Amino acid sequence: MGEKPDVWQGTLALMVLRTLETMGPQHGYGLARRIEQTSGDRLELNYGTLYPTLLKLEQEGCIRSQWGSSENNRRAKFYELTKSGQRRLRKATQQWEQATEILARFLGDTGKA
Amino acid sequence: MNRLRAFCIRLFNTLRGAHGDDFADELETHLALDTERGVRNGLSPEEARRQALIRCGGIAQAQDTYAERRGLPWLESFLSDLRYCARSLLRNRTVTVVAILSIGLGLGANTTIFSMVSRFVLRPPPVGDPGTLLSLHILHEGDRCCNQFPWPVYTDVRSQAAVFSGVAAYFDLIPASISGGSEPERVWGQGVTPNFFRVAELPMVMGAGFSDSDSDKPVVVLSERLWRRRFNGDRSIIGSTVILSGHTFTVTGIAPAAFHSIDQIIDAEFWVPLGLTPQLAANLPPRDSRDYHWLSVIGRVRPGVTRNEVAAQLSTIAARLAASYPATDKGNHFVFEQAGSLPPFVRRMTLLFLSALSIVVLLLLAIAGFNVANLLFAQAINRQREMAVRLALGATRGRLLRLLLMESLLLGLAGGAMGALLSLWSTAALSSLRMPAPIPLDLRVDIDGRTLAYTFLLSVLCGLFLGLAPAWAASRPGIANALKGETGFAAPGRRLSARNLLVVAQIAMALILLSVNGLFLRSLQSASRIDIGFDTRGVFLLSVDPRLNGYSPAKISAFLAQLRERAAALPGVQMAVCTDVAPLSGGNRSDTFSVSGHSGKGDPSSPADLYMVTPGYFDALGMPRLEGRDFSHETATGPRVAVVNKVFADRLFGSANPIGQRVDGGGSTYQIVGVVGNVKSRTIGEDTRAVLYRSLDQSIANDPSMMGYTLIVRTRGNPSGIADALRREVHRLDPAMAVYNLETMDEHVRAAYVLPRVAAMLFGVFGGIGLVLATVGLYGVMNFAVARRTREIGIRMALGAQPAAVLRIVLRRGMALTLAAMALGWPAAWMLAKIASSFLYGIAPHDAATFTLVPILLALVALVAVWIPARRAASINPTQALRME
Repeated sequence: MGEKPDVWQGTLALMVLRTLETMGPQHGYGLARRIEQTSGDRLELNYGTLYPTLLKLEQEGCIRSQWGSSENNRRAKFYELTKSGQRRLRKATQQWEQATEILARFLGDTGKA
Repeated sequence: MNRLRAFCIRLFNTLRGAHGDDFADELETHLALDTERGVRNGLSPEEARRQALIRCGGIAQAQDTYAERRGLPWLESFLSDLRYCARSLLRNRTVTVVAILSIGLGLGANTTIFSMVSRFVLRPPPVGDPGTLLSLHILHEGDRCCNQFPWPVYTDVRSQAAVFSGVAAYFDLIPASISGGSEPERVWGQGVTPNFFRVAELPMVMGAGFSDSDSDKPVVVLSERLWRRRFNGDRSIIGSTVILSGHTFTVTGIAPAAFHSIDQIIDAEFWVPLGLTPQLAANLPPRDSRDYHWLSVIGRVRPGVTRNEVAAQLSTIAARLAASYPATDKGNHFVFEQAGSLPPFVRRMTLLFLSALSIVVLLLLAIAGFNVANLLFAQAINRQREMAVRLALGATRGRLLRLLLMESLLLGLAGGAMGALLSLWSTAALSSLRMPAPIPLDLRVDIDGRTLAYTFLLSVLCGLFLGLAPAWAASRPGIANALKGETGFAAPGRRLSARNLLVVAQIAMALILLSVNGLFLRSLQSASRIDIGFDTRGVFLLSVDPRLNGYSPAKISAFLAQLRERAAALPGVQMAVCTDVAPLSGGNRSDTFSVSGHSGKGDPSSPADLYMVTPGYFDALGMPRLEGRDFSHETATGPRVAVVNKVFADRLFGSANPIGQRVDGGGSTYQIVGVVGNVKSRTIGEDTRAVLYRSLDQSIANDPSMMGYTLIVRTRGNPSGIADALRREVHRLDPAMAVYNLETMDEHVRAAYVLPRVAAMLFGVFGGIGLVLATVGLYGVMNFAVARRTREIGIRMALGAQPAAVLRIVLRRGMALTLAAMALGWPAAWMLAKIASSFLYGIAPHDAATFTLVPILLALVALVAVWIPARRAASINPTQALRME
């Protein structure tokens, strides 16, 4: 377990938003599984931290939730991206791309030197 | 934006509590789905669920982190503390109510007094940027205080002082009768230079106000109050005309209602250009004279100019003027203060009075605070067990302190709220008092933001102070003992000394308070014994000012004579006479008099108040005529005669006979024809003044009264019934004549007593509250001590102590506290009396009666407060006391 990296601070929200954008409405467990799968099972997600993140995003108006039925007929809460969430995702994606690009240049430079 | 939204939702969730929380369901679904996957992967259901639980980090933990995000954790813990405190306060309801009442009374008194400080000392006038508006005065070398400006000096300063962006002058007070519409009314206004409102930066509510070319035009600015009262807020008034004392003025502006005058004391309701003032005010000084000081001056300091620069430039100008006009301006300096400060001549007195009151109410608050602290102390001792349990269960000491502090802060704030409510009532009562002054004053006091902030601050300080006692008690550990129900305070001796100190302080302060209170009551008592020198019974007063209706002096004389004749003919009327201003009206005309031909240095001279009277005046007021005769049929142009009072005669003539002598003063020479008894002329508390009575008919022409003329009617029986008949007679003579100051002489004199009465009332009420609080405090402490020592007393009595001996022990202890308090309080009261002495009428500040009676009274009250618990101690049944616990 120890060899799998934890989710970086603040990136979980971005992963949640992106996952909801590609998959559409999804319940908490489904999201958690999907995030793990997307990472190629390289991320170890503490499911307990996922729900406060979802709550925060909902409080901020980026997602909304609704009770519904899951694939095997369990009552589950489904989360869905809002307009504001889409905007937030676009902005955050840009910022991340910029940040990784800059970091990559640094790391690349040290590599050359 | 998103963050704010999230904050609001969390705040809402916190306030709503735990309702509608469906996270448990959601988590359960999550675990079920995860378990199913485990089972699909071949695990046993138990193992699958165990792993699912591990992956989500435990149900309780997940719910905790979720709950933290759901609401605002800090607010939640704050609210739960608050709920706990409120519960605990409600549980000890009696203590809470007594505490809030005590603190509320103390804070109410402080709020009331501070509202006066705020109104008279701190509040800037409602002008633009009050910090840069200065009031200027002239100070002559050697004088204590200051003088107003002659016109030429004003224009010199205006043209030469570059530190000011504008300088304006105004004449304080002009009476006018305003007619049109309903019954004519007398109103007061000011004459101002046209730049007045611009220099003051006072924007008009409506209209443009004055322009520079208005200095000699018949235009007027009305106050919003007058406009609403008399013109029903008619918006078409701008540009239309109003009649002031028979002259037509065009209204050019409405000044805001909040503005009364620059000095915030005089209550002016209209403003006319200074050039038009002579139409309304009689005998104004000549404009070109540098001798007559009659104008108030304000200056607007240019941005960035410091007070020092202002002072430097003004002293340069003063030196220049002294050189150019040595006869009039030598020795004159300019002084200034922020506009709206109390007028210099009342400042010292007002500040003293307010500081004495402030000291008294702070003492009162301290007594109340010590009282409540004592109560809470007793309570804290009883709550030691609760504290010990909480500590034993793992509460940190810091959290306990926070809780206790919050509890006492709640008490303080509740007391503050009650105090604010009390002071709403008390300031309304103070504002409704009528002052003994013939001119309109705006002395209303109300609770402003500054006062509320002060009350809030005091409440918080009180709360913190009250928290000290319980916090101290909670900080004593001794958990083990406390859990067993023993308290560290039970034993008599050292530990109780903190409470004893509180009681001693309380009684000492009560002694100070009561001494001051006693002095004031004694002062009122002696004020009511003061011989005012005339008989008020059956006398009715009414004033008119015919000059405002354009009457010539001769016509005024005739009008008043007719009015006297008609009034005397009314049934029940014995006499009707006239004067300018009734005695005890707060102020009067005065001049310096000397014996004719002896006006040099060293010759006797005396300032004397001047009254105009008609024949019969002295008899109508029951004043004894000592020598000579009354006025009879003096003609306006005949030789001037005067009647003087005893003090006047003594000062100028000593033992010589004054009758037939001539005196000079105020530009005239009078022959003395009679001497009458002394009266109080301006105020109840004054040292008897010299008074010169002159003939009304001989004085109207060259020295008309600014205050109008007063008809004095002596009736048989109750005088108040005559009011309507008199008013009718005035209107029969002239329907346009405004009638004012209708009152009986008793009412008039009662108003003159208002200051000593208010002072005595304030100090009396505060003293009474202080006495009750201190007594309750002493009783509480002794009662508590007896209750704690029940067992000890039981043992003593079982061993043979007599009830009388027990009584003595308790009494001795209580009285020892009282005596210690008196030893501290008495000297302090003695010193404080010196401050209070400035307001005392006819009584020495170290009045023997007060300083012996108050300690005796306090000792007696204390004896009662100690006696009751002592009796209880003496009646303790030893067997029962020992069986207790």
